[in-house]
Amino acid sequence: MAPDPLDALRLPIVPVEPRPEFADALLRRIGAARAGRAPEPAGPQAATVRYFVDDLDTAISFYCRQLGFQEEVRSPGAFAMLYRGSLRLLLSVPGAPGAGRALPDGTVPAPGGWNRIALQVADLAAAVAAVRDAGARFRDDIVTGVGVRQIVLLDPSGNPVELFEPTAGYHERSRPRMRGDRP
Amino acid sequence: MSTVSVRYIVSDVDEAIAFYCGHLGFAEQMHPDPAFAMLTRGDLRLVLVSPVPPGHPGGGSRPMPDGTKQRPEGWNRFMLEVSDLAGTVDALRRDGVRFRNDIVTGVGVKQILVDDPSGNPVELFEPIRQEARLADR
Repeated sequence: MAPDPLDALRLPIVPVEPRPEFADALLRRIGAARAGRAPEPAGPQAATVRYFVDDLDTAISFYCRQLGFQEEVRSPGAFAMLYRGSLRLLLSVPGAPGAGRALPDGTVPAPGGWNRIALQVADLAAAVAAVRDAGARFRDDIVTGVGVRQIVLLDPSGNPVELFEPTAGYHERSRPRMRGDRP
Repeated sequence: MSTVSVRYIVSDVDEAIAFYCGHLGFAEQMHPDPAFAMLTRGDLRLVLVSPVPPGHPGGGSRPMPDGTKQRPEGWNRFMLEVSDLAGTVDALRRDGVRFRNDIVTGVGVKQILVDDPSGNPVELFEPIRQEARLADR
């Protein structure tokens, strides 16, 4: 059965504002449905990661402007859903309903820790320079490991995000472009 | 379609491989070093590393320049969609898997937090609204 273009309008799971980013996301979904493709970039294989952030708007701006994410849903002060290729990144505010709520013992989720998403870039030095110029903080310097060079970036809430560049012998499938990539 | 990479710091890589492959449907891709393994599940590539000393060849789990050691902790996590959360939770509990909370009903999903053997969270969720579902989009 052909995809129903109106599926694109059945999207918001939470109240959203009429913002340009949302309109853009909606248009992408409509365009994908018209072209007979599954709505991009979500798919049955998409991977979902949840990060906790102190300030939602600051975090959305960081991930979209510095790291190439696209905003799809925003529930002000509580929750956002971003995409980058097959990665669906959920941003939750501690204390907000749903994932942000306290555990039965009263413990409240918080940003931080060491577990992280790792984003591949073609030119790590250039990517680091670009996000550093934009004021981003790093937890360490570029480290050379086995098959990759990498660095740990901190988002505005102090969550780690790893950037890595493959070195000799590393093989990877295609990925979205991001700032600092070579043309 | 592209692979999504997530790195988890674990206290014991072998124990973590057994957990993620045995209970959560991951497949081992490589385990070339006691402190490193790469698993996959769909488009998710899970890199498991245990903390290593500064001179170790593996670059992903060395201490920071200020000496701070990486360790398992925190609330950030990857999420796995299941079709029957209650059934999945029952099965995992019978297997001895630990949970950090009970099933919580949110806006678009029901969810729960599994603790891996190192205490890292993994969120299992069951969509209760179509928009939250990945599989049928």
